[in-house]
Amino acid sequence: MSIPDKSKMKQDCPNQRDCLEKLHLILDDETTAEEKEHFLKHHLEECLPCYRNYHLEVEIRQLLKSKCNSTAPQDLIDTIKTRVSQNLVP
Amino acid sequence: MEEADLVPKQQYPEVEKQQIFNEEFMPHIYSMYNFAYRLTLDQDDSKDLLQDTYLKAYRFIDSFQKGTNAKAWLFRILKNSFINDYRKKSKEPSKVDYQDVETYYNSEDVDRQITPDLRVEALRDMIGDEISNALNSLDVDFRTVIILCDLEGFKYDEMAKILDIPIGTVRSRLHRARNLLKEKLSTYAQQMGYKNA
Repeated sequence: MSIPDKSKMKQDCPNQRDCLEKLHLILDDETTAEEKEHFLKHHLEECLPCYRNYHLEVEIRQLLKSKCNSTAPQDLIDTIKTRVSQNLVP
Repeated sequence: MEEADLVPKQQYPEVEKQQIFNEEFMPHIYSMYNFAYRLTLDQDDSKDLLQDTYLKAYRFIDSFQKGTNAKAWLFRILKNSFINDYRKKSKEPSKVDYQDVETYYNSEDVDRQITPDLRVEALRDMIGDEISNALNSLDVDFRTVIILCDLEGFKYDEMAKILDIPIGTVRSRLHRARNLLKEKLSTYAQQMGYKNA
Protein backbone atom coordinates (compact mmCIF):
# COMPACT_ATOMS: atom_id res chain seq x y z
CA MET A 1 0.00 0.00 0.00
CA SER A 2 1.42 3.39 -0.96
CA ILE A 3 1.54 6.23 1.52
CA PRO A 4 -1.37 8.51 0.69
CA ASP A 5 -1.47 12.27 1.15
CA LYS A 6 -3.38 12.49 4.42
CA SER A 7 -4.62 16.02 3.80
CA LYS A 8 -6.49 14.87 0.72
CA MET A 9 -8.18 11.98 2.50
CA LYS A 10 -11.68 11.94 3.96
CA GLN A 11 -11.35 12.99 7.58
CA ASP A 12 -14.52 11.19 8.67
CA CYS A 13 -15.91 7.82 7.79
CA PRO A 14 -19.69 7.45 7.89
CA ASN A 15 -19.41 3.65 8.05
CA GLN A 16 -16.60 3.33 10.52
CA ARG A 17 -18.15 0.50 12.46
CA ASP A 18 -18.83 -1.58 9.36
CA CYS A 19 -15.43 -0.73 7.98
CA LEU A 20 -13.74 -1.88 11.14
CA GLU A 21 -15.58 -5.18 10.94
CA LYS A 22 -14.51 -5.52 7.33
CA LEU A 23 -10.95 -4.66 8.29
CA HIS A 24 -10.92 -7.43 10.88
CA LEU A 25 -12.14 -9.91 8.27
CA ILE A 26 -9.47 -8.78 5.85
CA LEU A 27 -6.64 -9.01 8.35
CA ASP A 28 -7.94 -12.39 9.51
CA ASP A 29 -7.89 -13.55 5.90
CA GLU A 30 -11.60 -14.31 5.97
CA THR A 31 -12.58 -12.42 2.80
CA THR A 32 -12.06 -13.10 -0.86
CA ALA A 33 -9.00 -11.63 -2.57
CA GLU A 34 -11.29 -9.31 -4.59
CA GLU A 35 -13.02 -7.93 -1.50
CA LYS A 36 -9.68 -7.36 0.10
CA GLU A 37 -8.21 -5.58 -2.85
CA HIS A 38 -11.29 -3.46 -3.33
CA PHE A 39 -11.30 -2.32 0.29
CA LEU A 40 -7.58 -1.66 0.47
CA LYS A 41 -7.39 0.13 -2.85
CA HIS A 42 -10.70 1.92 -3.05
CA HIS A 43 -11.51 2.76 0.52
CA LEU A 44 -8.46 2.71 2.71
CA GLU A 45 -6.37 5.07 0.64
CA GLU A 46 -9.10 7.67 0.67
CA CYS A 47 -10.34 7.44 4.23
CA LEU A 48 -8.12 8.67 7.06
CA PRO A 49 -9.93 7.04 10.03
CA CYS A 50 -9.90 3.64 8.32
CA TYR A 51 -6.33 4.08 7.15
CA ARG A 52 -5.30 4.75 10.76
CA ASN A 53 -7.34 1.83 12.03
CA TYR A 54 -5.65 -0.48 9.59
CA HIS A 55 -2.19 0.41 10.82
CA LEU A 56 -3.32 0.24 14.43
CA GLU A 57 -4.73 -3.24 13.97
CA VAL A 58 -1.57 -4.43 12.24
CA GLU A 59 0.60 -2.98 15.00
CA ILE A 60 -1.48 -4.59 17.76
CA ARG A 61 -1.20 -7.99 16.08
CA GLN A 62 2.57 -7.61 15.84
CA LEU A 63 2.76 -6.54 19.47
CA LEU A 64 0.67 -9.52 20.58
CA LYS A 65 2.87 -11.92 18.63
CA SER A 66 6.09 -10.49 19.97
CA LYS A 67 5.05 -10.02 23.62
CA CYS A 68 2.47 -12.62 24.53
CA ASN A 69 4.30 -15.89 24.21
CA SER A 70 5.33 -17.79 27.29
CA THR A 71 7.66 -20.73 26.91
CA ALA A 72 6.80 -24.12 28.32
CA PRO A 73 9.34 -25.29 30.90
CA GLN A 74 11.63 -28.00 29.49
CA ASP A 75 11.25 -30.25 32.56
CA LEU A 76 7.50 -30.31 32.03
CA ILE A 77 7.90 -31.27 28.39
CA ASP A 78 10.35 -34.02 29.39
CA THR A 79 7.93 -35.36 32.01
CA ILE A 80 5.10 -35.56 29.50
CA LYS A 81 7.32 -37.30 26.92
CA THR A 82 8.60 -39.78 29.46
CA ARG A 83 5.17 -40.67 30.76
CA VAL A 84 3.90 -41.32 27.26
CA SER A 85 6.94 -43.23 26.01
CA GLN A 86 6.92 -45.46 29.07
CA ASN A 87 3.20 -45.84 28.81
CA LEU A 88 2.59 -44.39 32.25
CA VAL A 89 -0.60 -42.68 31.21
CA PRO A 90 -3.38 -43.39 33.69
CA MET B 1 -14.05 -33.10 26.05
CA GLU B 2 -17.44 -33.97 24.70
CA GLU B 3 -18.24 -37.66 24.53
CA ALA B 4 -18.73 -37.55 20.77
CA ASP B 5 -15.17 -36.34 20.24
CA LEU B 6 -13.69 -39.20 22.16
CA VAL B 7 -15.35 -42.10 20.43
CA PRO B 8 -12.55 -44.28 19.05
CA LYS B 9 -12.44 -44.07 15.28
CA GLN B 10 -9.72 -46.70 14.88
CA GLN B 11 -7.24 -48.66 16.90
CA TYR B 12 -3.66 -47.66 16.33
CA PRO B 13 -0.89 -50.11 17.22
CA GLU B 14 1.27 -48.93 20.12
CA VAL B 15 4.17 -47.88 17.87
CA GLU B 16 1.87 -45.76 15.76
CA LYS B 17 0.37 -44.11 18.84
CA GLN B 18 3.80 -43.02 19.95
CA GLN B 19 4.59 -41.80 16.48
CA ILE B 20 1.41 -39.70 16.21
CA PHE B 21 2.00 -38.30 19.67
CA ASN B 22 5.58 -37.29 18.92
CA GLU B 23 5.09 -36.09 15.37
CA GLU B 24 1.62 -34.55 15.41
CA PHE B 25 0.99 -33.54 19.02
CA MET B 26 4.35 -32.55 20.48
CA PRO B 27 5.13 -29.81 17.92
CA HIS B 28 2.21 -27.80 19.37
CA ILE B 29 3.33 -27.96 22.97
CA TYR B 30 4.64 -24.39 23.13
CA SER B 31 1.44 -22.94 21.71
CA MET B 32 -0.56 -25.15 24.02
CA TYR B 33 1.39 -24.05 27.07
CA ASN B 34 0.88 -20.43 26.17
CA PHE B 35 -2.85 -21.04 25.77
CA ALA B 36 -2.98 -22.81 29.15
CA TYR B 37 -1.10 -19.97 30.79
CA ARG B 38 -3.28 -17.25 29.26
CA LEU B 39 -6.41 -19.09 30.37
CA THR B 40 -5.41 -19.86 33.95
CA LEU B 41 -3.05 -16.89 34.50
CA ASP B 42 -1.23 -19.11 36.95
CA GLN B 43 2.03 -20.96 36.30
CA ASP B 44 1.25 -24.04 38.38
CA ASP B 45 -2.25 -24.38 36.99
CA SER B 46 -1.00 -23.96 33.46
CA LYS B 47 1.54 -26.74 33.92
CA ASP B 48 -1.10 -29.07 35.33
CA LEU B 49 -3.55 -28.16 32.59
CA LEU B 50 -0.96 -28.77 29.88
CA GLN B 51 0.05 -32.14 31.31
CA ASP B 52 -3.57 -33.23 31.83
CA THR B 53 -4.40 -32.27 28.27
CA TYR B 54 -1.47 -34.11 26.70
CA LEU B 55 -2.05 -37.25 28.72
CA LYS B 56 -5.73 -37.13 27.86
CA ALA B 57 -4.88 -36.68 24.18
CA TYR B 58 -2.71 -39.78 24.37
CA ARG B 59 -5.34 -41.77 26.24
CA PHE B 60 -7.95 -40.95 23.61
CA ILE B 61 -5.60 -41.04 20.64
CA ASP B 62 -7.81 -43.63 18.87
CA SER B 63 -10.43 -40.93 18.46
CA PHE B 64 -7.96 -38.71 16.59
CA GLN B 65 -8.02 -39.15 12.84
CA LYS B 66 -4.51 -39.04 11.44
CA GLY B 67 -3.98 -36.26 8.95
CA THR B 68 -6.71 -34.03 10.41
CA ASN B 69 -6.00 -30.82 12.28
CA ALA B 70 -4.11 -32.00 15.38
CA LYS B 71 -3.60 -28.49 16.70
CA ALA B 72 -7.32 -27.68 16.67
CA TRP B 73 -8.10 -31.05 18.26
CA LEU B 74 -5.59 -30.44 21.06
CA PHE B 75 -6.77 -26.88 21.66
CA ARG B 76 -10.32 -28.13 21.97
CA ILE B 77 -9.34 -30.69 24.60
CA LEU B 78 -7.39 -28.08 26.53
CA LYS B 79 -10.22 -25.57 26.44
CA ASN B 80 -12.75 -28.17 27.63
CA SER B 81 -10.45 -29.34 30.43
CA PHE B 82 -10.04 -25.75 31.48
CA ILE B 83 -13.79 -25.18 31.64
CA ASN B 84 -14.50 -28.45 33.44
CA ASP B 85 -11.60 -28.61 35.87
CA TYR B 86 -9.91 -25.26 36.26
CA ARG B 87 -12.29 -22.45 35.66
CA LYS B 88 -14.05 -22.90 38.98
CA LYS B 89 -10.86 -22.70 40.98
CA SER B 90 -9.28 -20.06 38.82
CA LYS B 91 -8.04 -17.03 40.64
CA GLU B 92 -9.88 -14.70 38.36
CA PRO B 93 -11.93 -12.26 40.39
CA SER B 94 -14.61 -12.14 37.74
CA LYS B 95 -17.60 -14.29 38.54
CA VAL B 96 -19.64 -12.69 35.83
CA ASP B 97 -22.08 -14.91 34.08
CA TYR B 98 -20.89 -15.10 30.50
CA GLN B 99 -24.30 -14.51 29.01
CA ASP B 100 -24.49 -11.19 30.86
CA VAL B 101 -21.13 -10.20 29.52
CA GLU B 102 -22.08 -10.99 25.95
CA THR B 103 -25.39 -9.17 26.27
CA TYR B 104 -23.65 -6.13 27.65
CA TYR B 105 -21.01 -6.05 25.00
CA ASN B 106 -23.52 -6.55 22.25
CA SER B 107 -25.38 -3.50 23.42
CA GLU B 108 -24.96 -0.07 21.92
CA ASP B 109 -22.80 1.09 24.82
CA VAL B 110 -19.74 -0.57 23.55
CA ASP B 111 -19.77 1.25 20.26
CA ARG B 112 -19.41 4.56 22.00
CA GLN B 113 -15.72 4.08 21.45
CA ILE B 114 -15.42 1.86 18.45
CA THR B 115 -12.03 3.34 17.82
CA PRO B 116 -10.37 4.81 20.85
CA ASP B 117 -8.01 7.44 19.58
CA LEU B 118 -4.99 5.25 20.03
CA ARG B 119 -1.90 5.96 17.96
CA VAL B 120 0.61 3.60 16.44
CA GLU B 121 3.41 5.69 17.98
CA ALA B 122 2.05 4.98 21.46
CA LEU B 123 1.95 1.25 20.74
CA ARG B 124 5.54 1.31 19.56
CA ASP B 125 6.54 2.72 22.91
CA MET B 126 4.93 -0.18 24.72
CA ILE B 127 8.11 -2.16 25.12
CA GLY B 128 7.21 -3.71 28.47
CA ASP B 129 4.32 -5.89 29.60
CA GLU B 130 1.55 -3.49 28.62
CA ILE B 131 0.08 -5.60 25.84
CA SER B 132 0.36 -8.78 27.89
CA ASN B 133 -1.32 -7.13 30.87
CA ALA B 134 -4.02 -5.66 28.65
CA LEU B 135 -4.74 -9.07 27.17
CA ASN B 136 -4.79 -10.73 30.60
CA SER B 137 -7.21 -8.11 31.92
CA LEU B 138 -9.91 -9.13 29.47
CA ASP B 139 -12.64 -11.54 30.45
CA VAL B 140 -11.48 -15.07 29.65
CA ASP B 141 -13.88 -15.53 26.72
CA PHE B 142 -12.65 -12.39 25.03
CA ARG B 143 -9.04 -13.25 25.82
CA THR B 144 -9.51 -16.68 24.27
CA VAL B 145 -10.66 -15.50 20.84
CA ILE B 146 -7.75 -13.08 20.56
CA ILE B 147 -5.27 -15.81 21.44
CA LEU B 148 -6.77 -18.29 19.01
CA CYS B 149 -7.00 -15.82 16.15
CA ASP B 150 -4.15 -13.35 16.53
CA LEU B 151 -1.55 -15.49 18.23
CA GLU B 152 -2.32 -18.93 16.87
CA GLY B 153 -3.76 -18.04 13.49
CA PHE B 154 -6.85 -20.25 13.65
CA LYS B 155 -9.54 -19.59 11.06
CA TYR B 156 -13.05 -18.66 12.20
CA ASP B 157 -14.47 -22.09 11.36
CA GLU B 158 -11.75 -23.79 13.39
CA MET B 159 -12.38 -21.45 16.31
CA ALA B 160 -16.09 -22.22 16.12
CA LYS B 161 -15.31 -25.92 16.51
CA ILE B 162 -12.79 -25.41 19.30
CA LEU B 163 -15.17 -23.22 21.26
CA ASP B 164 -18.51 -24.85 20.35
CA ILE B 165 -20.03 -21.58 19.20
CA PRO B 166 -21.43 -20.45 15.83
CA ILE B 167 -19.10 -18.64 13.41
CA GLY B 168 -21.21 -15.49 13.75
CA THR B 169 -20.48 -15.47 17.46
CA VAL B 170 -16.77 -15.93 16.78
CA ARG B 171 -16.87 -12.84 14.58
CA SER B 172 -18.80 -10.65 16.97
CA ARG B 173 -16.84 -11.81 20.00
CA LEU B 174 -13.56 -11.06 18.25
CA HIS B 175 -14.78 -7.63 17.27
CA ARG B 176 -15.75 -6.81 20.89
CA ALA B 177 -12.57 -8.33 22.25
CA ARG B 178 -10.40 -6.19 20.01
CA ASN B 179 -12.26 -3.04 20.92
CA LEU B 180 -11.88 -3.82 24.61
CA LEU B 181 -8.18 -4.49 24.13
CA LYS B 182 -7.78 -1.14 22.38
CA GLU B 183 -9.61 0.64 25.19
CA LYS B 184 -7.22 -0.88 27.66
CA LEU B 185 -4.18 0.01 25.56
CA SER B 186 -5.55 3.49 25.18
CA THR B 187 -5.64 3.84 28.97
CA TYR B 188 -2.01 2.74 29.18
CA ALA B 189 -1.06 5.19 26.45
CA GLN B 190 -2.66 8.02 28.42
CA GLN B 191 -0.74 6.95 31.50
CA MET B 192 2.42 7.06 29.41
CA GLY B 193 1.67 10.67 28.63
CA TYR B 194 0.15 10.41 25.19
CA LYS B 195 -2.50 13.09 24.94
CA ASN B 196 -5.74 11.96 23.33
CA ALA B 197 -4.27 8.52 23.17
